[in-house]
Amino acid sequence: MIVETINLTRVYRLGSSEIRALRGVSLGVEEGTFTTILGPSGSGKSTLLHLIGLLDRPTSGRVLFRGRDTSLLSDRERRRLRLRNIGFVFQTFNLLPTLTALENVELPMALAGVRPPEQRRRAIRLLEEVGLGDRLHHRPSKLSVGEMQRVAVARALANGPSLIIADEPTGELDSKTGEEVLRLLKGLCEERGVTVLMATHDERAARLSDRTYRLLDGVLQG
Amino acid sequence: MRLAILSLRGLTRRKVRTTLCLLGIALGVSVILGVGTATTRYTATLREMNTYFQGRVIVVSSRSIFIQALPIGGVLPGGIVAEIERVEGVGDAVPMLVLVRLPQVGEGGGLGLTQLVPMNITYGIAGGRWGVLVGSTPLRAGRWPDPGGEEVVIGRYLAERNNLTVGSEIRVEGHAFRVVGVLETSSPFLTRVIIMSLEMAQRTYGYPRLINMVVVKPEEGVSEEELADRIEAEIPGVSALTSEERGELTEGLFRDVELWNLGLRTILYLMSMVLVATVMTMNISERRKELATLDAIGAPRGFVLRMVSGEGALLGLLGGLLGLLLGSIASILLVSRYASVPIAMVFKSLLDVVPPKTALEILASTVAVSTIASAVPTLLAQRMNIVDALRAEP
Repeated sequence: MIVETINLTRVYRLGSSEIRALRGVSLGVEEGTFTTILGPSGSGKSTLLHLIGLLDRPTSGRVLFRGRDTSLLSDRERRRLRLRNIGFVFQTFNLLPTLTALENVELPMALAGVRPPEQRRRAIRLLEEVGLGDRLHHRPSKLSVGEMQRVAVARALANGPSLIIADEPTGELDSKTGEEVLRLLKGLCEERGVTVLMATHDERAARLSDRTYRLLDGVLQG
Repeated sequence: MRLAILSLRGLTRRKVRTTLCLLGIALGVSVILGVGTATTRYTATLREMNTYFQGRVIVVSSRSIFIQALPIGGVLPGGIVAEIERVEGVGDAVPMLVLVRLPQVGEGGGLGLTQLVPMNITYGIAGGRWGVLVGSTPLRAGRWPDPGGEEVVIGRYLAERNNLTVGSEIRVEGHAFRVVGVLETSSPFLTRVIIMSLEMAQRTYGYPRLINMVVVKPEEGVSEEELADRIEAEIPGVSALTSEERGELTEGLFRDVELWNLGLRTILYLMSMVLVATVMTMNISERRKELATLDAIGAPRGFVLRMVSGEGALLGLLGGLLGLLLGSIASILLVSRYASVPIAMVFKSLLDVVPPKTALEILASTVAVSTIASAVPTLLAQRMNIVDALRAEP
């Protein structure tokens, strides 16, 4: 099991009121699988991914990464874990607009201390793998949304992570482009053995998954 | 390297905002440099004038004041020198007639404004005692005047400004004089003097047998204070000023000038800080999602801090360099105006007007101020909630 959550809850406070985004979620993600969290908007999918991705801390409960309790990790250790073991693909791509596609992919490697020639070599290879070998020096504003998401996937793979967290990766894409991105993620899972954990509200997207969890109002169903 | 690229591109994204910020910093730096170098040079000139006649007592009419090596107002009869020489403790007394010509409108820097440094100063010195004024300053060319001849020695600035060399004729108050020597000096004071015999100065300026100062050297073992007190006690109608008293006359002025300079510099640096902090806060607010993304992919906390500080430092560096360029031009104009020296001559001595050390200090201070100013937005960036920022609309 690469990731396990145990009785996870997350409560947000908005003034005097409380929003219970997650209510005791326990799940496990097997290494090398394509797992989907399916649920409507507001069901708590993103909150769950943020907790699993160590971007946020739960109100109660625990997240285990390869059996290790992440609540015991310092901020620095959580960052290091994110940098080296987890890749993120966001709905709105979140590429740095001032950097080219190549530089965006090189960035996580630079942060991890990979030497520049190696960064360049690996980034080019990754971009070629996602079909953007001819768009290396384009800035995000010069790329289509589908291309931007593929750059985001290449960036997520930069440091060879064992887990890719994709939060509504097809949310901004038309169905054809969305299908391409899903097949790309599925291919990574099958060919590279990378674990993919994806949140989506799209039932069709879930069909590619090895395992699907349904989330409604912060509670896992069934 | 990547950090520098990120910082630079972060700034170039908002070109108008960045340009306006750079111009604001450059303006501040140019004023700091321009006013700073001009006032430094001005006070240095005046301080240098205070160093003349050190160790001597200056006797002037009690109706005149003595400031910056120049007696202003009031004359003394020439016979007073004999009275002074009779005072106990006087080693030597050299009478002088000093006349100052202030620049006219349109002279000097060519700005048509009143300059603060005299255009030229005539020293009529008795008995060929030139050394009392010039010390060991050598002549670039020529010789010293004959006491009875219509001859003058002039400072280098006057010679260069008026294309005069040894043998040239110079007109002083309508009288023709032969230039027999040129003083080799970089002193802003000596470079503009006209030195002639006392008799010639009295005749030229219409002050027969009159003088306006006597330079008195105390005998060995007699202090200036002691001698000045004796002279004032024994000779009515005169003021005897020691080196210390002469210095005190202008120290207050120097302190005020330096305080104003410091105050102006502080205000301008504070304004630059506010400007940089405002621009950087706006930049950070617009880039919350980007910074959150960096956080999400695992960028160390220090990376974002260095990136934002780097942008502040770059603003300071670029604005500072532009400011130094503008400030150097301003310095040349100001020094030219206040020292009555043509712009071309000031430009030749640019490194004296704007010493590289001063320029580097200002540049370093500007970079430091801008970097410190970016601390506010950096702290904002640090306190940002990563999840909220990721969820924000782009």
